[in-house]
Amino acid sequence: MKTRWMFGLALPALLGAALLAWSEGGVETALARLPVAVAAGAEDGFASRTVWACDQRKAVVVEGVRPDEKLSPAKAQQVADLLMDLMRYCNAEVVARIARDEVITLSVDGLPFEHYVPGGPVPVQLVHGKAVHTPREQAIWKAELDKLVAEGDRLFHSDEIGTNGVACAMCHPNASNTHPETYPKFQTQLKTVALLRDMVNWCIINPLEGKELAENDPKMKALEAYILNSRTGTAIAVGKH
Amino acid sequence: MSVNLTPKELERALRERSPEAESEIRSLLNCDRRHFLKVSAKFAALAAAAGVIQPHAFQLVEAAYAQPVAAGSPDVAFRFAYISDSHLYARGMTHRFAKAVLKAVEDVNALDPQPDFVLYGGDLAQLGRANELELGQQLLKGLKAPVRMMVGEHDWYLDMGDKWKSMFGPDRYSFDHKGVHFITLNSVVEKDFWTANGYTPEQRMNIVAGLDDGRQSRFEVGEEQRDWLKKDLAKVNKKTPIVVFSHSPLYKYYKNWNFWTDDAEQVQALLQPFQNVSVIHGHTHQLLTNRIGNISFHGMLSTAWPWPYAPEGLPKLTLQMERPDPFNQLDGCGDGRVDALKNGQVDKHYNLWDRNPHSVTYAALKAGIQGGGPSY
Amino acid sequence: MLKAASSLCAALLLALAGTVSAGEVTLPVPSGVLPPMIPDGNPVTSEKVALGQKLYFDPRLSKDDTVSCATCHDPLHAFAEPRPVSLGVGGAKGARNAPTVLNAAFLQEQFWDGRALTLEEQAKGPMLNPVEMAMPDHAAVEKKVQALPEYAPLFESAFGDEKVTIDRIVQAIASFERTLISVEAPIDRFLAGDTKAISAAAQRGWELFNGKARCNTCHGHVGAFPLFTDEQYHNIGVAAKEVSFEDLARQVQQHPERLDKLTHAPGVNQLGRFLVTKEQKDIGAFKTTHLRNVAKTAPYMHDGSEATLALVIEFYNRGGNPNPFLDGGMRPLALTETEKADLVALLETFTSDDLARFEKLAEHKTK
Repeated sequence: MKTRWMFGLALPALLGAALLAWSEGGVETALARLPVAVAAGAEDGFASRTVWACDQRKAVVVEGVRPDEKLSPAKAQQVADLLMDLMRYCNAEVVARIARDEVITLSVDGLPFEHYVPGGPVPVQLVHGKAVHTPREQAIWKAELDKLVAEGDRLFHSDEIGTNGVACAMCHPNASNTHPETYPKFQTQLKTVALLRDMVNWCIINPLEGKELAENDPKMKALEAYILNSRTGTAIAVGKH
Repeated sequence: MSVNLTPKELERALRERSPEAESEIRSLLNCDRRHFLKVSAKFAALAAAAGVIQPHAFQLVEAAYAQPVAAGSPDVAFRFAYISDSHLYARGMTHRFAKAVLKAVEDVNALDPQPDFVLYGGDLAQLGRANELELGQQLLKGLKAPVRMMVGEHDWYLDMGDKWKSMFGPDRYSFDHKGVHFITLNSVVEKDFWTANGYTPEQRMNIVAGLDDGRQSRFEVGEEQRDWLKKDLAKVNKKTPIVVFSHSPLYKYYKNWNFWTDDAEQVQALLQPFQNVSVIHGHTHQLLTNRIGNISFHGMLSTAWPWPYAPEGLPKLTLQMERPDPFNQLDGCGDGRVDALKNGQVDKHYNLWDRNPHSVTYAALKAGIQGGGPSY
Repeated sequence: MLKAASSLCAALLLALAGTVSAGEVTLPVPSGVLPPMIPDGNPVTSEKVALGQKLYFDPRLSKDDTVSCATCHDPLHAFAEPRPVSLGVGGAKGARNAPTVLNAAFLQEQFWDGRALTLEEQAKGPMLNPVEMAMPDHAAVEKKVQALPEYAPLFESAFGDEKVTIDRIVQAIASFERTLISVEAPIDRFLAGDTKAISAAAQRGWELFNGKARCNTCHGHVGAFPLFTDEQYHNIGVAAKEVSFEDLARQVQQHPERLDKLTHAPGVNQLGRFLVTKEQKDIGAFKTTHLRNVAKTAPYMHDGSEATLALVIEFYNRGGNPNPFLDGGMRPLALTETEKADLVALLETFTSDDLARFEKLAEHKTK
């Protein structure tokens, strides 16, 4: 999951024939890393040809094709599409096997082969290092986030940040008008391009007449969490005034 | 309190600055109500020089709003001024909220001619405390014209209005003035949300003080008070102009921030039979204008801080004020006055601090246009 | 409109290369800095600069031949006025401390109340001001200059013929003034990353400038426009102790037909920007001055009422002078003595490295 975005960027570069890279020498080395059953050839003894993606981490073994035999255009396109899918899913080492009867199976990081249907649900194995986020994990993470947001909510509405009794919520009820999604931008009060926390500190010093917070102060993180959370779902619009 | 000093006397006082003066000024900076009364005129002048208090609180100079006040205008029957939503902490005279009230008092005292009375729009205190209300009362005593008080939620929910009522009288009342029937309502009544939850008075007050705190109930006028209003209106001729003073807007603008009166329709229904009705309300701290049927609604400015416009529900007739600059603690704040017209309607004038004044006339309202240009 | 836009575009493009070429003269604008706006129809040429320089220093443009531009905008004093207010013809006391001409070319409006939109327009003003150069009208100025034979060849080479018009006079003066640009000072090197460019005290001053002292919101530094001004108008209460803004404003309202004369009238001129815009929010408001070479242009404020930088800091430290129209951004700062000194140290780093070459122009002063 965490590297998915990287492949989102890599995809345009990979589109096209460039993603297919095969050479005899390369395959020798690469094959040495494949699970033994694959390296030795297809299970039923037929020959196979292995195609690697340019990241050297994804391979498709096409059964029924000799190592020196060229793939038909349709088969080549099928292999290319499959490699693209696999790279889109994750960063692990994946070997997919297209059997002669067109059944596709795949194995992630040496685990047993699982059935795979292109366009179907993403196999569990491919999700974030082989495991989906369990409901329990998600609950834990949400609880921790909610704690920080709640602390930020408390500080945002309290008069302990400044010295004159003014609270952030007085000009920004429900964090309205904070527009965190527009940072960084040129902030006229600061006369420079600012991040959200720069503006938070400016407000603490000026309208709230308080002392600025260190950038890694837990209070600053809490305030940012609360402000950003109030705008969740809003598109990022850097520089918007 | 008001002290008359000529510019020459002030100048002399400044030159004669002495160590005793210094300590007086220092104590002024920490003063509470009682101490303030003891300060003599001479030191008050020095306090002015130290920037603690605006010199014009001492009526050195008469002033006028830059927009010529057409005292003799044929359409204006009389005028009153307003100051609203001061949210005072009891932190002495140098706190920015207190200085803002002083500035408003000077503005109103400088009006020439003087208004018939000054409406105070509610939320005099911030946390409903006795010393906050007392500080506010002391500051408002500087006004030359008589004051008509109105309750806001920040005044009320610490002790359910006990202190406020003991200082200022009933929370709902009516009076007639030069042919206009004025009604002041307590429109910040909330259904009990505190008993079941076991909140202390302070907790209750803190919850109500949070504009976006959803634990409180929505404002209403309430059945008992609507009955009182009905009886009061029964004695009034349908042609008599009516002006209602209310803290909440008496219509429904934005529920989450209690820019809202839950029984607004019922209250409006009681008022609709009258030809000329204007509501002057507080709580929203912004330029705000609405018209429903034959009722005009005008929001007052706060002296303390501006609220942003709500994400939805803004009446179309409102000309929004430009986003205030947080560097400038006066921006988006101010006071104002209302001209009661001979035709029974009102013109509303906003005295925006550090901005050009803005007027919402009945004529423009009726025509459905917003005149006067932007608010900056 | 399009022509102006395209010549601006050309100027901007050249600015990115590091200098601006307008006509024949290259203005020394560092790369990344937006160049001064030059009105269409008056490109800067070396002939106009030479003519403009001569006119700038020529007291014969005044009624009794005693006051030139250089009299009040003195090269020896960073092209500004060392007295609180300038003295005009016959020693007449004005109401303004003449601001520096250095870098004035960058500003979008001239005069403390911003009533002139170009240097050309500004140059026309003092000539007719009775307390400055006291000429009766511009035709009189033209006549005087036309009668001086030494100007004939200069007008010919600058404008193509010997005819003297007021527009040509001010165009030449403005062209000369446009060469008086210098935006390279220790502070600029510091902001570019040279931590040794300014002292530790000045660096502390820079933190204060952008923090506790609240200077930067009006006097902020922006890379593309490093003049330390927001080019807006604020009432900070200068002169509030001496005049009543309300009284003056009422005077103006009652006699709007006299507005032009009131700009120079004693007392009323303190209304500042209000006399130009007639808007209530501008009562007693004056332009945020730019801060380049500020350490060399004492005294300070529009009426020269603060003699030193230290006094200026004191002025802001107490929150300006209270008055009903005081800008709400002014407030007491509670600066310590060290902090005040640090701010002064900072302001001294705004002095141009090459100020000396401008001061050399003083040799052209006749009086």
